[in-house]
Amino acid sequence: MDILISSLFAGLLIGMVLALVALGLNIIFGVMEIVNFAHGEFLMVGMYTGLFTAQATGMEPLLTLPVAAVVGFLLGIICYYGFIKFLIRGPMVAQLLGTFGLMLFLRNIALLIFGSEDRALHHGILVDKSFDMGMGVIVPATKLTAAGLSVVAFGAVWLLMNRTKIGKALTATALNAQGARYMGIPTERMNALAWGIGGGSVTIAGALIVNFWSVNPFMGLLFTMIAFAIVALGGFGSVPGAFFAGLVVGLITEIPGIWDFFTYTFNFDWMNNVPMTSLKYMWVYLAYFVIVVVRPRGLFGWKQ
Amino acid sequence: METIKNALDFSDSPRIDLTIAGLVALFLLVFPIFPHSAFAMATMIQFLMFSLYGMGWNTIGGYGGQVDLGKAQYVGIGAYTTAVMLIRWDVPFWISMPIGMCFAVIWSFIIGYPLFRLKGHYFAIATIATTLVLKDIFEVWDFVGAARGLEISPIKYIPPDFLRLIFKQDVYYYYVILGFFFLGILYVNWFRRSRLGFQLRSIKDNEDVAQSLGINVHWAKVKTYAIATAFVSLVGSFHACYIKNIEPEDTMSLDLSILIALMAMLGGAGSLWGPIIGAGILIPCKSYLKEWLGAQVGLVGIDLIIYAGIIMVISAFEPRGIWGIVEKVRRRKRS
Amino acid sequence: MKTAVRFGMVVLGVLAVVGLMVPSAALAAKEIKIGVIYPLTGGAAAAGRELRAGAELAAKIANNVMTDISMDMAKNSGIKNMGGAKIKLIFKDHQGNPTIGADLAKKLILDDKVDGILGCYHSSVTKTVSAVCEQYGVPMINGTSTSPALTKRGLKWFWRTTPHDKWFTKDLFELLKGLTEGKVRGVKAVPKKEIINLASACEKTEWGSHVSDIIKSLAKEYGFKLKKSLLYASKSPDLSSEVRSLKAVRPDAMLFASYTSDAILMVKTLKAQKAAPKIIWGQDAGFEKPEFRSTLRDSIVGILTRTVFLPKVAQIKKVAGQVNTLYKKNTGNDLGGASARAFTGLQTWVHVLEKAGSTKPADIQKAANALKIPGKELVVPWAGIQFAASGDEIGQNVLGSGLIGQYQKDKDGNLVLEIIYPFDVATADMIFPFSF
Repeated sequence: MDILISSLFAGLLIGMVLALVALGLNIIFGVMEIVNFAHGEFLMVGMYTGLFTAQATGMEPLLTLPVAAVVGFLLGIICYYGFIKFLIRGPMVAQLLGTFGLMLFLRNIALLIFGSEDRALHHGILVDKSFDMGMGVIVPATKLTAAGLSVVAFGAVWLLMNRTKIGKALTATALNAQGARYMGIPTERMNALAWGIGGGSVTIAGALIVNFWSVNPFMGLLFTMIAFAIVALGGFGSVPGAFFAGLVVGLITEIPGIWDFFTYTFNFDWMNNVPMTSLKYMWVYLAYFVIVVVRPRGLFGWKQ
Repeated sequence: METIKNALDFSDSPRIDLTIAGLVALFLLVFPIFPHSAFAMATMIQFLMFSLYGMGWNTIGGYGGQVDLGKAQYVGIGAYTTAVMLIRWDVPFWISMPIGMCFAVIWSFIIGYPLFRLKGHYFAIATIATTLVLKDIFEVWDFVGAARGLEISPIKYIPPDFLRLIFKQDVYYYYVILGFFFLGILYVNWFRRSRLGFQLRSIKDNEDVAQSLGINVHWAKVKTYAIATAFVSLVGSFHACYIKNIEPEDTMSLDLSILIALMAMLGGAGSLWGPIIGAGILIPCKSYLKEWLGAQVGLVGIDLIIYAGIIMVISAFEPRGIWGIVEKVRRRKRS
Repeated sequence: MKTAVRFGMVVLGVLAVVGLMVPSAALAAKEIKIGVIYPLTGGAAAAGRELRAGAELAAKIANNVMTDISMDMAKNSGIKNMGGAKIKLIFKDHQGNPTIGADLAKKLILDDKVDGILGCYHSSVTKTVSAVCEQYGVPMINGTSTSPALTKRGLKWFWRTTPHDKWFTKDLFELLKGLTEGKVRGVKAVPKKEIINLASACEKTEWGSHVSDIIKSLAKEYGFKLKKSLLYASKSPDLSSEVRSLKAVRPDAMLFASYTSDAILMVKTLKAQKAAPKIIWGQDAGFEKPEFRSTLRDSIVGILTRTVFLPKVAQIKKVAGQVNTLYKKNTGNDLGGASARAFTGLQTWVHVLEKAGSTKPADIQKAANALKIPGKELVVPWAGIQFAASGDEIGQNVLGSGLIGQYQKDKDGNLVLEIIYPFDVATADMIFPFSF
């Protein structure tokens, strides 16, 4: 029983962290229908920013989050004005491949500057701390903080989108860019803003998770793929959808744990030999595939 | 007979194009006679392979306008079928290659049928997802060597073995793939003016209109997808014999899928010569950038930065590819 | 029209440039070219740098007279039997990709006309490169790939100096057996039932899945119970479900085969999940990298890793100390498992060439099969180098051996790897049981 509870709990927790990573991708897609392959690389930039700011100044890694947010925001804006602006005029295939080029570019710049070593934080209040909550549930402090931040960030973005003028302008741009332009909304600037917010939110996530995970220039792609799955599951552009989809994906990555529970409960020997952990991410992709085929809008999507 | 005539009929291309194509074809035929380095030979084989991949992608992605980023799974199916059959049952390439194509086509129907209900980005990302699922399965499937991969033993067969396609000199592989390359061009030339080809282009222009004209849009897409698949699987089988060692990571990676789409887009999607031009520029560019700049101390990754820069510039400023530039210039001449 | 012509010229031009790259210049006199294929960029670039430095140092010692190093190859300048011919290394970068590796091997053999090949670190790359060498009949010596399957293929042009994973894993089981028999320095005999339950987690690659299979078969042979054996996706962002799965079977010892980022994450997660095995053993790779040590610091005290070379060896073995000083002067680091084995790989090449007296492949083949380098020549703590010429492991060095090290704190508070196994060269008491 302990295994089941701790698996479910860990699944929800990691789900919230992954949702935070996917939030930026969701905003960008929601506003301007472009799939950003470089999303995981943005995360990597956030991780390096957090790491080096903390190491260079010796300050508490948590305090580097604003720095990372600023870097991410600027990176998003620069990418938009320097590159994406031109890209969105072209056909979809060019958009996809263009952001893939951006991904290769950022990754190899990082490789050139930082080298291929894995780097990790050595100090800070979150590093190597965890709480035992009984019932076999053990919560690492970093993940708990990241999960908390995830809830806050989603709340903030939801408020921004639904309760402020800028949010309404963003939504209008998303729904009908041309119409929005006629209404006097500077859609160009709105797109840039979406990239800024998207970039900033993912670099914050990066600066936070570097407390737990080590970073190297090649780590982006897996996060990109998971973020794709989350965004598609939740429905492209739906903020609450992305959050719940994050939880779902988190639970899916815990399928091996749930499998273990059944293995020990029923004590079937053959169940022990199924390579569940090797297929951990396959379930995510499979769920994603099934959902988009059955319900292309995603679980909570409003945009067809 | 009619089909063959149609396949050989290039009369709608301007004469200058045909002259250039003829010269290039001649060059490709006589290339091995000139003194050349092994590296150049390997690059040429890569170029021919990727031209074929690109031609396959071009049928569904270019003429059909469906952005498919999951072609690597069919490379994997082709490569694995050939390697498994050769290693386990000593089946020659010429038999296992069509079987691999059949497997790939069957798989393409299985996933293509639901996939083509999707449009745009959803379709593109779903094709990535299917590749990743298949790759993960191959990585745990013991029958096909799991993550260890499969190796065609370097000592078991005596080269040159034309049946099993085991050679020592690359020049044999070169001519085999060159043969496929010419056949591929003829097939695409026939395809683009076939009934399906016209249907597909009208779907690309406007799906609703195509539907109202009585075209079964869904079925046309699934069929074309299968054709694209067959191309890719064929080259996958060749890849297995040429490289002699296959792993899921190598044959089914996302990078390969993207590279395939990139060839066609860079050269000009939806045109006969586009994928060939794309491969002809991108493959040597990639190989030689790496050769000259790769592994320089202190400049690790500089070749890929330049390469990524090229991709970015092309997709932002000339998304219709090099063939797009040619056509633009021609149109301006005419008016 | 004109544009189209110009455009056609460009296409032709590009193709022509590719085609007419003529082979590089003819062989210079008195030079022996060895092609060295290592992962100089890509995920394993850090290891690649070490490997390169190790091989370069060996070449330098072979090419010059160095009286302060007590090795045969330091006494002569170049290869004595070939009129003092110098060794020239041509480095190529395979990025950890088997296909690129095979292409590079072809290029080295046909374009650069190398006399032999050294490489390639990743077992998967070594596999394709050795296949190319076999096809062209060019000798290849491998110093650093440990997949047992490599020497099981019956290749005639492939020799491997390093012991492979089966030996290393066997060392571990010998250590466990030693624990029950009270042979381990500083530990009283432990009843077998206290360390009988094992669990293993290996990465899902060529290397990891081989190691996993070996652990399975050896556990059976030595009478241990492998309660859980899993393969995980490498470079995973999260390993908590894997760790919980391992924890659930309450293993006494956990065995891992992981590269750096996974090894770090694994140990962090184990600590966070308060897993408490009595033994944690890593199959080299990630568990030996400097980053593993600097990131996890004191929490790794007590973790075991197999290796072939530790700085401690330099204290026991005079030759190793001399080479280590030189290596440290060049790079600032101590010799490690990768660099020491790369050094030994090239050293083997020098001995083979010295014995062959020519660069004819057939002579080299004969010399390699009859080679015997005594242990006192080597920096690594092996009995020597002698290749099996028959049996099911043709080309494997039969005199190699592994070490098991344990992270411990020395009296200044620094983390060092102490030798625990083999028992007769142990440099410290073993910490048992392990705890975070």
